Parts: sequence; structure tokens; C-alpha cells
Amino acid sequence: MPNFWRQHRGWIAPTLFIMPAVVLFGVVIVASSVQSLWISLHDWDGMSPMHWVGLGNYQELFRDPQFFTSLKNNCIWLVVFMLAPPLGLGIALLVNQQIRGMRLVKSLFFIPLVLASVAVGVVFTWVYTPGFGLLALVFSAFGATAPALLSDENLVTFAVVFAALWPQVAFCMVLYLAGLNSLSDDLIGAGQVDGARGLNMLFHVVLPQLTQVTFIAIAITAIGALRSFDMVSVMTQGGPFGSSSVLAYQMYEQSIFSYRFGYGAAIASVLFAIMLVFIVWYLSRIMRADDRGA
Amino acid sequence: MKHTHSFASTRRTFLKTVGGGAAAVALGGLSMPALAQDKSLTIIFNGNNENQVAALRKTIADFEAATGSTVTLNLMDHEAHKTAIRNYLVAGAPDVCFWFSGNRMKAFVDRGLFDDISDLVAEQNYAEVLGGTLGATMVGDKVYGLPLAGTLWGNFYLKNVFEEKGLVAPTTWEETLAYGEAAKSAGMAPLAFGSKELWPCAGFFDELNLRINGLENHIALMDGQMSYLDPMLQPVFDHWEELINADFFLENHTSYGWQEAGALLSQRKAGMMNLGNFVKYAVPEADIPHLTFIPFPKIADIPRFEDFSTDSIHIPSNAKNKALAREFLAMFYEPENLHAFLAPAGNVPPRNDMPPSDDPLVNAAVESLKTVAGTAQYYDRDTDPDMAQAGLNGFQEFMVHPDRREQILTRLDETRKRIFGVS
Repeated sequence: MPNFWRQHRGWIAPTLFIMPAVVLFGVVIVASSVQSLWISLHDWDGMSPMHWVGLGNYQELFRDPQFFTSLKNNCIWLVVFMLAPPLGLGIALLVNQQIRGMRLVKSLFFIPLVLASVAVGVVFTWVYTPGFGLLALVFSAFGATAPALLSDENLVTFAVVFAALWPQVAFCMVLYLAGLNSLSDDLIGAGQVDGARGLNMLFHVVLPQLTQVTFIAIAITAIGALRSFDMVSVMTQGGPFGSSSVLAYQMYEQSIFSYRFGYGAAIASVLFAIMLVFIVWYLSRIMRADDRGA
Repeated sequence: MKHTHSFASTRRTFLKTVGGGAAAVALGGLSMPALAQDKSLTIIFNGNNENQVAALRKTIADFEAATGSTVTLNLMDHEAHKTAIRNYLVAGAPDVCFWFSGNRMKAFVDRGLFDDISDLVAEQNYAEVLGGTLGATMVGDKVYGLPLAGTLWGNFYLKNVFEEKGLVAPTTWEETLAYGEAAKSAGMAPLAFGSKELWPCAGFFDELNLRINGLENHIALMDGQMSYLDPMLQPVFDHWEELINADFFLENHTSYGWQEAGALLSQRKAGMMNLGNFVKYAVPEADIPHLTFIPFPKIADIPRFEDFSTDSIHIPSNAKNKALAREFLAMFYEPENLHAFLAPAGNVPPRNDMPPSDDPLVNAAVESLKTVAGTAQYYDRDTDPDMAQAGLNGFQEFMVHPDRREQILTRLDETRKRIFGVS
């Protein structure tokens, strides 16, 4: 036995250590993704036996105007959410200054990250309430009438994204703060010697050192935008008449309220395919970075 | 396990036994000591009303004492329960659960998930005390649940506000239009309306369709037999559009939930609200005595039909202890126990032999129901859930963009064809 162990411990030990993660990932992520794909090829109400329809759900999807509304909204989310990394960087640079009281400011910026996103959604719904919401009060102070943002089919998605952007900016800020703390003093010192100051210093010395952070911030923000669901659910339930729905919400609505798990799974699969683009990009970057490191 | 216990023979004697308190405990304990381990029951309740839970717990305690059984009560959030029920009915069903009558119930009956309790209904002679209400829990000639509280839909308003502003609650279409003008000149929205949760739009559609095309046609539409493009529906949307164009509905109603809209009644910002009597939850305590309702105005010359949505109590097909569940249902459905359970929610009781309610709104609804020729459940309970989801969105869109009528109805009809498999 000890002989066996000695001969094989080279692979037994790592296998044992990796096993729990592999099993968990396999069951929770891989198996359920495959199962989702499988369900998306069926007509299924979640209870009765599944009925094979092949690509029928996908064909219907591409005729469904609601699907394109959701897809368009996901694009809006993606584009507007990309404001989070630069805003986060800006705030991080600001609060990173050694000024008295900056700690307080830093923690104030940090607050939205501590709040549950559902709470953020509820608060912003109140802010947007026409007539007596905070926004309406601000507008009326200037003698204007605030638009009913959550009732306007063209503005509603922007209103929801804006609410979601708040914690996302805070998140990017934290990432950049961590990045700023690990800047190389040598490089900055060298830059100072060479006379780099202000924007020159920022663009040519500081930012290049933050590439890894930026890349993580963008990847996480993109995926956050694509899987947006909670804010939509809390603030508008996809309304008015589906105009603020996103793919994740439409999937939930179709599966849970319309009893169409097959169709919901088809939406999920499309969403997965879109996310895959970002995931592949992220992974390829990581691998390239690893290769360089090795 | 059969109905070996004495209470099955007559309901009244059983009630006295329970009323006997300690004696009943002893009796119940003595009569079935050996079977105690088999007598466990699980109940899932989806209500959020504390007083209702308390009443339910009391009935359960009495039941445990009388039968020597152990009952587990699982409380579930109302909204979460709507999704959870589909899992638990298939895998791990309780012995008793609560749900909605009508098509929502039928969806599970069709899949064989609710037990046929016609035997219990016959044995307890419920048909006699329930009358037409029993229809809400029937599919074909079989009964799959016992109806609980019903909610009668109507136009709710505050008497004091109407007196103050010199408004008259309308009973005809002409009066409705006149009322709208009067309300607007008093600086109020004629109808408090919040469509954020979507379903209030469907309630309004129901009212118009029931008044214009009657119950039979309405049900044909709900069952997918009538097209959404049928010319009969055009007057419904004509009337609706007339009100929309006359600014009857609260501005930006898609931003408000029904509770926020309901609060406008006592703030004197809106006149009436088309809802069930649960609108009282949005009215401050002080104004509740003034809250009253009037049926939706008459339009076509047809009998009066109303939405009267009913909740119900069921035994899942996969329940472990169906006989004991029946015993529990029989006891729970005793007039006194049922009254204690229903009173806190303030809805119309299903049995006609229950003690009168001390809530004037309930009594008014009971009176009003006597002149109703037939009842529907509610759009999202009468039609297929999938159809309902599309319909609710369509109606909300219509209320914001009446000019998109054709487009919306065409879309709804495509959905109908897909769901009901008709062409």
C-alpha cells in the first residue's frame, strides 16, 4: 500500500483536492447548462412530459417582437454600463488623494456596494415616482414637470440602467482603488524624474499599470449588464407592456408565469451564447497573461 | 384509514364535541390511540394575514386534539407560493394546500395533480350550502377543491368624498361620462388606476366585456374559442378608448401599483377605483367606514355578470394521507371555523349558512351578489396562464397607446392560436 501511494501520489493528491470543485462545478454549472439546452428543444410546461419540438422554440423566438425588445434593452444595458469603469476610475483617482476627510468620502462612495440591489431598485423607484418622487420634487423646484420615467417606454430602460449603474460604479471604484495601491513606486518615481506630470503621468505611467484591473472591470461589468434581472424585476417587472424587459427577465416571465420552460430555456440559451463571447474573450486574455507570466 | 371517527356521522355533534374542550381532547385521545403514528398531516398555507394564520392554527389545534393527529403547518409567501406549488405538487406534496379556483385550478386538475373530492362534498352535502359557488372548484361534474373567500369586483369610492365634491356614482354609460366630467372639474382623476402590476387592466377589460358581450361570450374568449379579432370585441375597445381619450384614468398609471393608486381615493385626487374590496388596504383606517361600492355601470341591455374570484383549498393527488386530509377539510369547513378564518381578510364567504359578517362591505357584496346572473373568476384565472400573460401586457399597452389596437389584438390572436391549438 505505501508503495502504491508513493508511486501514484503525484496524481492522486491533486485529483482529490480538485475533485470537490469539479463535481460541484459539473453538477451546478455544466450539467444544468446542458440540461437547459436540452429543454430548449422541447415544449414543456414544467410538469407534464416534455414534447420534442426541435428548433421550434428558436424559430418562434426570432419571430417574437418581445425577444427583440429584450435584446435591444440588453444592448442598452451593455453600452450604458460601460460608463462604470471610467467613472469608477475617476472616483478612485479622486478619493485616492491624501486629503483630510477623504476616508469619509471614500466610504460614502462605497455605500451602494453594501446595499442589496433590490433595495437600490426600490429606492430608485421611489425617486422616479411621478408627482411626489425626489426627481419630481427637484423638477418642480425649477418649475418643470419631471417625466414619468418608468412609464415612458423609450426612457424606462435608461432609468433602470442608471439605478443599476450606481452600485456598479462603486464596484469599479473599489477595483481601481486596489489597483492604485499596488502601483509601482519605482515607475512613478522614474516618471517624475523624467518630468511626467498630470495627464501625462496618468496616461503613460499609471494607466498602463492598471490594464489588468481595467480588463477585469470591463469583463465583470459586461457580464453584469447581460445578466441584469433583479433591478428590472423590482423596478418595472419588464413594464410598461414589456418595454423594459431584458432577456433574463423574459426568460423568467415565460418560464414561471406563462408555464413555458422550453421557450424560457431557448431564451436562456441565446443569452448564454451572447455571454460566451465575453467569457471567451476574458478567458483568452487570462490565458495569454498566464503564458506571458510563465 | 376510513372515517372511523365519530364526527363524520354528523357535523353538529362533532362541533359540540370540539366545543367541549378538554372533554373532547380526552375523547379524541381515547378513541384512536393506536393509530396515532399514522396520523400526520402537512398543510401549506400561502396567506400573509396574521389573523388568518392564527385562526388556521386554532382549527389545527382543535383538529389535533379531536383526532390525535399531528399537523405540520408550512407558511409560504403568497407570490413565492405561486411558483413553488408546481414543484411541490409533483415532488413532495402536502396533504392540504391553498390555491385559486377556476382555470388556475384546472391547470393542475388536467395534469392529475389535485384529488377528486366529490365524495367528501356528497357526504357533507356541501352542494346545498354552497349553491353556485361550488362551480368555481368543479371541472366537468367532479369537485377538486372547496371554495373559500370570494372577491366581488366593482367600482369603489368614498361616500364622504363624493358628498363633499358633489359627485354621483354612475350606473349607466351616459352617467359615467357625466361623472368623469364632474370629477375632472373637481380636480380629481375620475378613476384611480395603477397598472404597474398589469392585472388591473384585465379587470377593466372583464368589466367591459361582461357588460357588453355577456358571460357566455366572455368565457368563450377565455377558453380560446373566440378570436381576439372577433367584431364583437370592437365595442369593448371602443368604450375603453372613449374613457382613455376622456382622461378617465390616472396619468402615468403604469408607474403606480394598485395600492399607490388606491391611496389617492382618500387624498381626494381620484374618485373611484375598479377593484375588489381589498382596496380597503389602501384606505386609511378613518376613511374605511365611508368606503362603499357600486357595480360597474350598465352598458348593453343584458343581465348583470360580474368577476367574482374565489380562492380554494385542495388535496393534492400525491398527498400521503388523503383520508385524514378529508377529515381536516370537513372540520375546517365548519361554518364557525371557516368564518374565523375568512373574517380577517374581509371577503365574501362561500357558504350561505355562515354567521353574518361585521364588515359592511362584505354584507353589501353578499347582497349585491343576489342580483348577479352569473360570475366569471378574473381574466388571469379564467384563461390559460400563458394567454393571460400576453393579454395583460396587451391591455396595458392599449391603455397607453389606444391607436395600436389592431396590432395588439392581432398579436393576442396569434398567441391564442398557439396556446389553444386552433387556427
